[in-house]
Amino acid sequence: MSENQRRPITARRVILLLVVLAVLLVPIPTFHTPHSRDVVIDASQFEYSPPRLNINRGDTVNVTLNASDVVHGFFLDGYEIDSRVEPGISQKFTFTADRSGKFRYRCSVACGPLHPFMIGELVVGPNEPVWRASALAVVAAAAVLLGARKRRMA
Amino acid sequence: MTGKMGNRAALVVLVLVLAGIPASIVGYQYWLRPALADHRVVDIAALVPENGGFSPDLIRVGVGETITLRFAADDVAHGIAIGPGLDIDLGQIDPGHVGEVTLTPDSPGVYTYYCNTWCSPNHWRMRGILEVVDPTAAGAVGAPPDPIIEALIAASVDIDAKPQLAEGISPDRPNGEQKLETVEVPPGLLDPTWRLSHTPAEGLVALQAQNPEVADDVLTDVTAYLWSEPTPTVEIKELFAKNCAACHGELGAGDGPAATSTLETPVAFADVAWFRRGDIWYAKIRRGGMGTDMPNFGTLFTIEETRLLVDYLWSLSFGES
Repeated sequence: MSENQRRPITARRVILLLVVLAVLLVPIPTFHTPHSRDVVIDASQFEYSPPRLNINRGDTVNVTLNASDVVHGFFLDGYEIDSRVEPGISQKFTFTADRSGKFRYRCSVACGPLHPFMIGELVVGPNEPVWRASALAVVAAAAVLLGARKRRMA
Repeated sequence: MTGKMGNRAALVVLVLVLAGIPASIVGYQYWLRPALADHRVVDIAALVPENGGFSPDLIRVGVGETITLRFAADDVAHGIAIGPGLDIDLGQIDPGHVGEVTLTPDSPGVYTYYCNTWCSPNHWRMRGILEVVDPTAAGAVGAPPDPIIEALIAASVDIDAKPQLAEGISPDRPNGEQKLETVEVPPGLLDPTWRLSHTPAEGLVALQAQNPEVADDVLTDVTAYLWSEPTPTVEIKELFAKNCAACHGELGAGDGPAATSTLETPVAFADVAWFRRGDIWYAKIRRGGMGTDMPNFGTLFTIEETRLLVDYLWSLSFGES
């Protein structure tokens, strides 16, 4: 078969293309009914407690933010939430975790020498890119195996 | 151009850069800016108290002289306010930014510029003095004496006394409001200044002496009504939030995040036992608590602000906030 000869459009190839498109585009069903979650985040020099929040997509998150030493801030990337908290006066805000992925929250008030390293992360699951990439790898492996068997049989 | 001449030219440029840049900065600050400005401009560097606080921390200005104060935060975010009674709040100043205020004081006095953003555990120590002097008048300027505290000291009242917290009946403020007309209130209790320098416990004794036939719980309710203000202004709530809540807690339960690091456990205003013990909050706030880590706020708040704050504190002990 020469290089510039067009490959025939076979039924196999169409099916493979449809499967790949399905893997990439079909929304992943969630088997989880969204509910409301209460989260307490404590900000101190120079960390957040908890440093990592795992939330299911669609959940409504009620955050109570406390500062335990000096004034701190809370800026959540991707959700554009900004809050400032003074020690003793807790701040409350609510957001809906409608974007999945990993988002950093960081201090937005210069609180001390290590202020730039005061970072935590919000993980809104499921982790779609990982699942889609894994499924794509499985499809690719299956296609290679099937193609090899066909060539051997020919 | 020979190599030697090129070297010399490079040396001249180097000296110009090394000497010229600092010279122009210093020259601008100490010569050009004063020459251009029609009044004095003072730069104040703000650092956390552990690293020195304000520098300078004392500024003298003559009566009628216009002065511009430029506050620069050099380490963390600070908040700058000047009090008492000047109503100057520059808000939060982030590192790298400058907060500026121009004022022309018209009477002699002593004011305090202070940080009102919790910038470090020792935040409340971050204060500087702005002294307004009258060049024509003789004698030193001092902070005006506080008439209420002077009177207390003259009457040899121990402001730092620590009586035991007493068990007893819990007051019901709304009931006190209703029953106010039915009891005979001594004129002193209707005077806000008298209430500031006397405790509710003393007020109750005075009421009992005047109304021996009325039940104690009714008189306690009336005392609670007289001593408290459950609907404070936004400014007073903010005053409490910015200056008191870090130790005394958001609702006055004595459970603020800094409460564990003070010499003495902060007072829980929300606990009604404190209403019965009845310290003279006004004096404690303005003068500070000796040996307790309670700072003095008399150099920051006006007498009126302190009075409104005290009324709010008393109302916290009945759970009406």
